[in-house]
Amino acid sequence: MRINRGAFLFAAVLVAATIAAAQAGKETAGQTLSGTSLSVPAEALLNGAAVWDQVPAHRISLNRTPPLYDTDESASLEIPLLDVRVVRAGGKVLVQMSWADSTHDSASLPEVPNTPPETRFRKVPTEAEDRFFDAVAVMFPEKKGAITPSLQMGDAEDPVQIYYWNAARGPMLMEAAGRGTTRTTGGSFAAHGAYEKGRWTVTLALPDLPAGTPLAFAIWNGSQKDRDGRKYFSVWQVLR
Amino acid sequence: MSKHQYAMVMDLNKCLGCQTCTIACKKLWTDRDGTGYMYWNNVETRPGMGYPRQWDRIGGGWKDGQLQPSPLPSMDDYGHAWEFDYEQRLYEGKKKPVMASPTPKSGPNWDEDVGGMNGDENYFFYLPRICNHCTYPACLEACPRKAIYKREEDGIVVLDQDRCQGYRYCIKACPYKKIYFNEVTGKSEKCIFCYPRLEKGEVNACAAQCPGRLRFVGLLDDPESPVHKLVRVHRAALPLFPEKGTQPNVFYVPPFNPPKRGNYDKSILEDSRLPLDYLIYLFGPEVRDVIERLEAELKTAQAGGRSELLQLLIGRDAETRYRIKPEVVQIKV
Repeated sequence: MRINRGAFLFAAVLVAATIAAAQAGKETAGQTLSGTSLSVPAEALLNGAAVWDQVPAHRISLNRTPPLYDTDESASLEIPLLDVRVVRAGGKVLVQMSWADSTHDSASLPEVPNTPPETRFRKVPTEAEDRFFDAVAVMFPEKKGAITPSLQMGDAEDPVQIYYWNAARGPMLMEAAGRGTTRTTGGSFAAHGAYEKGRWTVTLALPDLPAGTPLAFAIWNGSQKDRDGRKYFSVWQVLR
Repeated sequence: MSKHQYAMVMDLNKCLGCQTCTIACKKLWTDRDGTGYMYWNNVETRPGMGYPRQWDRIGGGWKDGQLQPSPLPSMDDYGHAWEFDYEQRLYEGKKKPVMASPTPKSGPNWDEDVGGMNGDENYFFYLPRICNHCTYPACLEACPRKAIYKREEDGIVVLDQDRCQGYRYCIKACPYKKIYFNEVTGKSEKCIFCYPRLEKGEVNACAAQCPGRLRFVGLLDDPESPVHKLVRVHRAALPLFPEKGTQPNVFYVPPFNPPKRGNYDKSILEDSRLPLDYLIYLFGPEVRDVIERLEAELKTAQAGGRSELLQLLIGRDAETRYRIKPEVVQIKV
């Protein structure tokens, strides 16, 4: 497919910004995300609203990717902000993301156990083959250290891991080493998502990442036909 | 570019609209969860809405080397499956007649045999459709996952279920709307030209089951194959909507198009029952030449002469209609 010229420009600007920041000896990341350490089992935190209220939220600006292909419909910035809370507990980094979304794009799908994550759901079709579902993901470099790989799914030298959660299909572990290389690993992780009063709150259990690890966030808004690189994204943030 | 290209020719003069091909395909490939609404092979009445509804006007394909935009067909365009309330009528004392729910509003073959009117005369014909296994597949170009590829050994276009992420750019890009999204697996699916059968020397299921014997299968580049003869030698078959730019490898022998009632001694194109403009809409302006060629062959046969083309189109036996070369798939690429 012919890539939209705007997408090329966008990639060029990202690269230029990364190089400029590297030359200046600065991090390209946005703000730092300080994790709150709690001695509570990770499982309890996945659905523990009361505890999360004690954890400070970091408000992160989201950007929309430009139309990637000439045939794409344009989309407006409906979700400008993402609230992120981070807790270290039980040998996990729990990341809770919360954002306002006026449309609840989800489907209730009964689960079939003992099948790969991507085919786990056997369901009565929603009979809406033109629907897309809300989703969220956290991306971080596979290698330890404070290197920030390309925001476009990492690069060959610095592959990334992606903890992806979809409102219809649940959590899926993915990896990538550059744009167009994203693939599901078949692995999964603990996650919990809830939609209430026009707001998504999704908690993902990440592995115990060291301080200084860069994290990037992405949101897909189903009603805006988001999937693939058509999404909201943040620049790199640094975990503390 | 593939080394070889499998192709199919369908003679629309012989199609009965019986849907045996549709069922042969459905039983073989799309009886799994999430494939209920999928018809890798369907037969629609023309003129008519088609399946999905108005697919020929939605969009997709190529223009000036660029993919063309298209919305995704909605389930309203495919038609929602319905159930009949037999339970209530037979066992629960319902007095009214059995009813369908939800109220059917559209579906595959919804406008069967309706056709169009030319003055006071009705006309229609059946159009069987599979994936066109295009030479320049718009679906392949549209997929950012590179999940769709064209088999180098035989030109069959297939969709890798492991690479597919269900983004559905392919469905938008296909001007024939012959790719379907499976909600259960979250991946898209399409006609595979029965390649596992071809690899065993068996013809496609839709062709094998066709009581009208209207399908011809072989390699387009094999001079001995019936499809080569019909398309390249006799030039009696045309692709559907050539202006969509994908260069389909499924070809149609256009309907002979009888004259209107009471005009039996007239030429096929003189005062025809089926408006030529409609055939031009489907098959492009070349359809006029093809119909004239077919009529000339018909006249030869009617005058007691022998028409090689008509003998081929009659297709008495499988050896005439199909030339499957399982050895082509053994080429290592």
